[in-house]
Amino acid sequence: MPHVDLPAIIQAYNDAVFDTDKDQAFQIVDAALAQGLCPEDVVFKVVIPAVEDMMSRITQDPDANLAQHFMTAQIAAEVTEKMLPLFRAPPERIGRAVIGTASGDLHSLGKRIVMGCLKSLMVDVTDLGVNVPAERFVDEAVRLDARVIAISAMMVHTATGEQGSLRVRQLLRERGLEERIRIVVGGAPYRYDPELYRQVGADAWAPDGVSAGKVIADLVRGRPPTP
Amino acid sequence: MTATSFVLTVHRDGETLRVSHRPGLSVREILDATPLRVRAACGGSGACGACLVRWQAGPVNPPAMAEYLKLDAGERNAGQRLACQARPRGDAVVVLEHPAPPSPWQSLPADDLAEGPGPRPGWAGPPLGLAVDLGTTHVRLALWDIRLGKRIATRRGANPQGVFGADVLNRLAAARSHPARAEELLTLVRQAILEGLRDILARDVGEVTPMLAEIGRVRLVGNSAMLALLAGRGVAELLEPGNWSRPLACQPEDEAVWRAAWHLPHADLALVPPLAGFVGSDLLADLLAVDMLAAPPGTLLLDVGTNSELALWDGQILWITSVPGGPAFEGTGIRHGMPAESGAIQGVAAAAQGSRLDVIGGGPARGYCGSGLVDAIALLRREGLLKASGRFATAPGAEGYRLDPDQPASALTGADVDLFQRAKAALAAAMVHLLGAAGMHWRDLARLHVCGAFGRTLDPLNAQSLGLLPPLPPGRLSTRPDASLAGCEILLLAEDGESRLAEVAGRARCINLALAPDYDEAFIEHLRLTPWRDGFSAGMGSDYN
Ligand code: B12
Ligand code: FES
Repeated sequence: MPHVDLPAIIQAYNDAVFDTDKDQAFQIVDAALAQGLCPEDVVFKVVIPAVEDMMSRITQDPDANLAQHFMTAQIAAEVTEKMLPLFRAPPERIGRAVIGTASGDLHSLGKRIVMGCLKSLMVDVTDLGVNVPAERFVDEAVRLDARVIAISAMMVHTATGEQGSLRVRQLLRERGLEERIRIVVGGAPYRYDPELYRQVGADAWAPDGVSAGKVIADLVRGRPPTP
Repeated sequence: MTATSFVLTVHRDGETLRVSHRPGLSVREILDATPLRVRAACGGSGACGACLVRWQAGPVNPPAMAEYLKLDAGERNAGQRLACQARPRGDAVVVLEHPAPPSPWQSLPADDLAEGPGPRPGWAGPPLGLAVDLGTTHVRLALWDIRLGKRIATRRGANPQGVFGADVLNRLAAARSHPARAEELLTLVRQAILEGLRDILARDVGEVTPMLAEIGRVRLVGNSAMLALLAGRGVAELLEPGNWSRPLACQPEDEAVWRAAWHLPHADLALVPPLAGFVGSDLLADLLAVDMLAAPPGTLLLDVGTNSELALWDGQILWITSVPGGPAFEGTGIRHGMPAESGAIQGVAAAAQGSRLDVIGGGPARGYCGSGLVDAIALLRREGLLKASGRFATAPGAEGYRLDPDQPASALTGADVDLFQRAKAALAAAMVHLLGAAGMHWRDLARLHVCGAFGRTLDPLNAQSLGLLPPLPPGRLSTRPDASLAGCEILLLAEDGESRLAEVAGRARCINLALAPDYDEAFIEHLRLTPWRDGFSAGMGSDYN
């Protein structure tokens, strides 16, 4: 077996992600595979720790910017997707979430980052698309046995509107599903008002895609929300 | 910026204002475009004698006939001049002892104004015509003598609906929340337009109330939200994405009621309808102003505002879309961000020690307007202080990085850069998408018009270095700060205005970017602060053909 310098690979990969250099990140992964690193190790020893590393850097560094979030999520999701078919045995999945943007809202980018992080964290996530009616969120969550409904809203009126999270909460209550299915919200308006998630009837929120991955993964596992 | 320009220094009550201007303008014309205006009650003909200034230093033309009539020898010897007659012939200093009361209305810079469509000898209606460009942030007006084809004056003032929020959605949501709110929003703009009109009549015509009856025609262009709020129709529809590809009805239902409310008893008053959801008639007006259908294929027009609109002409089809990329370019959300007003940093240049700020009015900096922000970020990139990812090479701390260490308001934070990246990515990705739809590469662009006030002081090379504009040779770029107003003037005055508008609308194909599958990919790509690459418009667009 050829020599694999794992710490150097991790360092180089993290730097590429931090600098939002996607081409560089892919080159590093290809080089690592060529050196003999197995696909499982690429995901579990390089990619997932990088997401976690970004998470801690972001909490310490309020200046981490959108390009970095995107690239962390995007690169992580793409690498993971490429590696999964190469795994010797399918990895253990944590559980399922459904995600979509609120009714009236067509902004898909926030959802995309969150999905990228969830995928690399081994959460199965079903994308319901944009402009999703509240009924559909609930129906699909039930059909797919999802534990979390994740709702992205980029505009104030779709975050607080009556057809968004508020209506999902009402439906969960009416159908007696509140114990089983949690609501997680996110998007620009929640970042301006950290208490807004309560007003729209959500169980939790996250200010960025990388921490959203963690919040949702915890709820999918059945851990209580940590406000 | 013109090649030669002079600086006029104005003292009043211990305050000093410095304005750079091109040669040939009168002191009144120079000051009309600033908040410090001279008193006036005639159109600058020398008839009212109200516009007194005292000349302190600098070359100037000798007193004109009107000044011999209005000023006695003692006054003339003491250096008194009529501001509308005195034209500086170099850098000059004047004292303004009795300025006009402060007003939110200013004239548009003379350089920005188009010629206009010419006289209309057959016009039989009341003589005056008013063109209005109703923007989210500013309202622009031009009053015309229709028959003579002569522009009497222009004004620019703030849109007072700003108190309900800088972006259109907050205002629409407020209007939807309660009929009283809707009425309030409507009244605010209507009052503002009337106030601007009265300001013109008082200073440039000399009489107000009787003249309102002389206004025979009013044409208004604006973005869809502004028109809906003004007409009191279509507000709820605009908040529903399902309605966006449809034209929006925004004509007032009862014109007689309108004329009465506007105090314009004889005016034929019309709002020019928007093309679709968020593609307003301000963009249509831009397209008329640059005569888009006669332009070479590969002409791209950007109107950068709170909501930015774009149109690309490929010789057959006018590809049109809108993006919410603007607020950052108007200073909104940027820690030290502000509109292009007195105190705004409008440019930043490298200097031996750090950098040199170009502040509007010459005083201490109060913050950045769009063009200053572009310059500052480009400079930080060039000097290696900022990386392509938008990260500072060395974290500047919570206060941000000061481009001029002595000026606190010159500080930029990582969050400011992030916001700029989002806005430029939204805009650049939209350009790339339109090019893809038309099957073009950015190198095929024959011309790029940047409309809106943002373009006036924008340094195109800096914008290109950050990937805000495609890297075309300078000769293919042009700026048209008041194109919307110019287009509205065509609709007000030209006999074929309506038919030209119909032609433009007939060629238009609107794209809703929210439904474009590859838009978000392009958005992410364009977050980086680097010039456009060759591959940027490849591989898209087949869905539209
Ligand atoms: C890109 C963009 C668009 C694109 C969207 C493309 C796409 N496929 O998504 C297009 C051009 C289509 C668009 C359209 C419109 N937009 Co827009 N858009 C933007 C822009 C520039 C960036 C938004 C974005 O995607 N950000 C990226 C996200 C990922 O960043 P983020 O918010 O930081 O997200 C993080 C967290 O919030 C969190 N998160 C996000 N979602 C979730 C979900 C969960 C569950 C969790 C836990 C966390 C989480 O993780 C993310 C990653 O770290 C913003 C302005 C800005 N500077 O932000 C305006 C903005 C959001 N848009 C706005 C407007 C007004 C519009 C339009 C009405 C205008 C128009 N021209 O038509 C339409 C509306 C379309 C609709 N009905 O939805 C306004 C909203 C104003 C308001 N009052 O709320 C904004 C704020 C701009 C402005 N100030 O005017 N837009
Ligand atoms: S005399 Fe100068 S404005 Fe009237």
